[in-house]
Amino acid sequence: MLKIWSMKKNEDAAAKKKPKTSAAQIRVQKDLTELDLPSTMQTHFPDPADLLNFTLKITPDEGMYKGGVFTFSFNINPNYPHEPPKVKCVPKIYHPNVDLEGNVCLNILREDWKPVLNLNSVMVGLQYLFLEPNADDPLNKEAAEELKKNRDQFLYHVKSSMRGGYIKGEQYDSVAQ
Amino acid sequence: MNGNSTSSDWDGRYFHVDQILDKAGPRTDESFVPGDQVKDFLRNNCKILVIGAGGLGCEILANLALSGFKDIHVIDMDTIDISNLNRQFLFRQKDVGKPKALVAAEFIMNRVPGVKVTPYYGKIQDKDEDYYMQFNLVVCGLDSVEARRWINATLVNMVDPENPESLKPLIDGGTEGFKGQARVILPTVSSCYECSLDMLNKPTAFPICTIANTPRLPEHCIEWASVLEWPRVYGDKKLDTDDPEHIGWLYDVASKRAKEFKIEGVTWSLTQGVVKNIIPAIASTNAIIAASCCNEAFKIATSSAAYLNNYFMLIGTEGVYSYTFEHERRKECPVCGGESLDISIRKDWTVERLIEMLVEKQDIQIKKPSLSTPTKQIYFQAPPQLEQATRPNLEKKVSELVEEGGEITVTASTLPFNLSLRITYT
Amino acid sequence: MAQPDSQELGQATTAIHSRAQPDNKTRRYDRQLRLWAASGQSALESSRTLVISASATATSILKNLVLPGIGHFTLLDPNTVSPADAGNNFFLNGYASIGKNRAEEAVPLLTELNESVDGKASIKSVDELLRTDEGRQWIKDFSLVIAHNLPKDTLESLSSLLWEDLINPPLIVVRSAGFLADFFIQFHEQCIIEPHSESFPSLRLTQPFPALVEWADSIDYDGLDPTEHAHIPFPIILVKQAQKWRAEHGGELPKVYKDKQLFKSQIKDLQKKLDEENFEEAEAQVWRITSDVLLPSEIKELFSLTPLTTSTDPSNAAFHALLQTLKLFVESPEGPRCLPLTSTLPDVHTDTESYVRLQRMYKEQAGKEAALFKKILSETYPDKPVDDSMVDLFVKNTHHVKCLRGRKWGSWEEDKSAIVESLEVYPKETSTHLAISALWSLQAKGIDVTEEALTADILSQLPAGTTLPDELDNAIGELTRAPTADLPNTAAFLGGMIAQEAIKMITKQYVPVNGYCVVDLVDTWTGIVGRA
Repeated sequence: MLKIWSMKKNEDAAAKKKPKTSAAQIRVQKDLTELDLPSTMQTHFPDPADLLNFTLKITPDEGMYKGGVFTFSFNINPNYPHEPPKVKCVPKIYHPNVDLEGNVCLNILREDWKPVLNLNSVMVGLQYLFLEPNADDPLNKEAAEELKKNRDQFLYHVKSSMRGGYIKGEQYDSVAQ
Repeated sequence: MNGNSTSSDWDGRYFHVDQILDKAGPRTDESFVPGDQVKDFLRNNCKILVIGAGGLGCEILANLALSGFKDIHVIDMDTIDISNLNRQFLFRQKDVGKPKALVAAEFIMNRVPGVKVTPYYGKIQDKDEDYYMQFNLVVCGLDSVEARRWINATLVNMVDPENPESLKPLIDGGTEGFKGQARVILPTVSSCYECSLDMLNKPTAFPICTIANTPRLPEHCIEWASVLEWPRVYGDKKLDTDDPEHIGWLYDVASKRAKEFKIEGVTWSLTQGVVKNIIPAIASTNAIIAASCCNEAFKIATSSAAYLNNYFMLIGTEGVYSYTFEHERRKECPVCGGESLDISIRKDWTVERLIEMLVEKQDIQIKKPSLSTPTKQIYFQAPPQLEQATRPNLEKKVSELVEEGGEITVTASTLPFNLSLRITYT
Repeated sequence: MAQPDSQELGQATTAIHSRAQPDNKTRRYDRQLRLWAASGQSALESSRTLVISASATATSILKNLVLPGIGHFTLLDPNTVSPADAGNNFFLNGYASIGKNRAEEAVPLLTELNESVDGKASIKSVDELLRTDEGRQWIKDFSLVIAHNLPKDTLESLSSLLWEDLINPPLIVVRSAGFLADFFIQFHEQCIIEPHSESFPSLRLTQPFPALVEWADSIDYDGLDPTEHAHIPFPIILVKQAQKWRAEHGGELPKVYKDKQLFKSQIKDLQKKLDEENFEEAEAQVWRITSDVLLPSEIKELFSLTPLTTSTDPSNAAFHALLQTLKLFVESPEGPRCLPLTSTLPDVHTDTESYVRLQRMYKEQAGKEAALFKKILSETYPDKPVDDSMVDLFVKNTHHVKCLRGRKWGSWEEDKSAIVESLEVYPKETSTHLAISALWSLQAKGIDVTEEALTADILSQLPAGTTLPDELDNAIGELTRAPTADLPNTAAFLGGMIAQEAIKMITKQYVPVNGYCVVDLVDTWTGIVGRA
């Protein structure tokens, strides 16, 4: 057998056995402990020992969705950050970029995900959706149409949906604070 | 070798390989001693692990057996599918449905007498360090990034500064169509799999709003069926991409949507390709890459010739283009990079005291460190809930949380990499 | 794939997808059909390959051709299995094969890999076959010949035989010893309609067809609502901006760096809000205006290529007819004066309707131009009809078609100055090739293989005073160490390499190697010398 041991550099000879923490876990620790969230966003860990599954609560303090509490579930798989976290909106909400199943249209959650991005970028991106809903590339087409056509009517729908009201026969979850 | 010939071994069997083992070449390390000793090590002592018994794995097993490795282990969690038969040459139509590892092992033992192949039908994650420690070398023919990251991290973590035997060379191969790569990873010595993760092509993903509202390509319709419609219609029922009924359903739904939007090109094959993320694979490319991996394994096991340093990339679509280069280690690699420190503290030191000491340390420039052991959090600076939950630990003694010689992972925004501490008590 | 409208999506409709579900053969070959499609597969299935010598390398090559399903192969070898063969060849029955004929022992173990392949063993000697007309004809009747480690004299006769007539099959010469090897494909001409190039054909945005112009003209950026604005397809934006630029710059497009940057920034300025993806796309695709290639120089060069003869391979003859038609098409006043338009669009950030509209426009225009192409073809070659599917494929790929001209095995070595130059530019690759040739030469002369003998032989082939590079020592050292070793890993490596090349030659898809491919499995590299 080739004598590889002798090739370990001097500096490495002093190197210590690395902890058995997975690369994904270290990254998640780094991401989470460096989170710099405004007061409008809060994470919650149902099991604080499990860093890979948690929720994020967004309570916008401006914009059309002010007054609501929006919960997103985060699921991080062992292939993070090669793969993005899986994020879903928990309540059924009336929003051009969120569909009735809770899928969220945010580019960095799919096509534009890069391992240099982190959980903070995803969370900031999610909050932005409530400040500036995007009607041009929608997931909930009806909501987007309404936003484009009649902003006041849209705002009215948003408010009533947030109280658990019906819009076009669809009942939304109450998310009022 | 022995002087007699039997059906399990015979004189002259290794005529070809022995030309290499009986004489050094111009690029052979001077530690190489030609002759019986190296042959004995290769044929009677060397234990090698093959991960994956698929396209690369079948080739790897055959090459290793012919090269003279006689104690080979193989792990694979898959069973044989008909679409494997165009390249996985140890399998026949009658084997469809059987575990790859078992069929491959049996085939090799029948074809190459005197070679013992020990199969394990299951996941690499089922095995612990003790298991991996028994091998001299690991050759990897996997198609999953996740499994590769796992075995890479496991082998890097296994390296014990007090035990030279703990360093297991990892030889990794991969192919896609007419392209492929082979590389040699000497854990903690050369660049590891994680170091080169950013070289990978990221999987194609389409914007979900395109899928939902503005489909243009047949792929968009297929993703609509699999990403949006399947969970909507079937809820939590898992999509099984190997079940033709499920593929059939997706195909029908995608075809209907394509028709509605006047999009052409949804076929069964494309549907399957998109949802299973199928990568084209042919026997010849697998043969090249597997041979390259086994050649490195042979050269390293016998030190009979220089070995690949450390990355061989092949593109066979336009002529034969290859590129051999040294991939550099990444300092901030979360697996093999980062800094490690031996820290000796008093047994009665609290976590808070340890943190103060880290912050005061001039040579590492750390601010607001967060600490954990491989199994639990010690102190997290954020988010608030975890900070609160771990705050009581600040008052605790480090020795209550970390055993003698135990490890702590430290991260901080001021550290581009992670730091690991090995704690001893005075 | 119609589906009754009343049917709910939730109900699986086996009736429909059972029709679409592929048959067993398609499923077996699925992973390769994604590369070379049914056309490549049928080319493989009608091929007949002769492999000379049943060495470990040769059976490895065959394994990689039998698995994907070549039509027929014959394995030619008069020798019996030696203990050494039984030890290094996977396609022998180990000890039990010793003393039996190598080809006959190997063929059943190869054919069992794929029931649809017809394989035969022949125990004749290639030297004998080369001595009779009948034998020579027998060899020439294959569609591809592969030879591993044949002696120098045999190789010379074989390559001369196959080179003498254009209709003879290509020959792949493979030589290996220990960790070193080289191989060469001898062919007159390889016409490739589908090289599977990764570059994009022109969308012809600098010379837009009328429908494109009409659409671009109809766009009034300010008259569009924000959603429409954010969904103007990038080709339309580029056409519109290019026209505007032309109008302001005397009909010229941006050529110098400064203008290109300005052109880019003008597109950026059109964005009405942040992140309008269609405009970002247009910006990223500005090269389609500033470096649009309507007639690539490689294709133009092909126009002046004279077909080798008229009696060559019928599909090559058709290729040349298509090439000449393409030339006439480009010159025709009725045509666009460039290559025919592609009908395949990349994905474009826009809404479905606009995309389908754009796609249809490209299809229609491409269809018109294809019709003109076919008209010219039938007028120019009235008595040589070319298969319609081949014409369509050619028209689709005109930006990428290739025609390689090869040379006879060993002819490069006659050009001494080329070798001397190659030694300077590619020292390790050239040294390795020359060292292998020297080994073959020594073996033919019955001289012992020593470093001195190898060096002397190499020097005797070169002009006096040529300095040999240091890299040569590595090669001759390895060859004297293992002059007759057919190592299992080298054999498997070459088995894959040569099978890849054979597949490219047979399917006429992708691009085969032109020149000697040299392999060094000590430092693990490959290189090419002696390109034609």
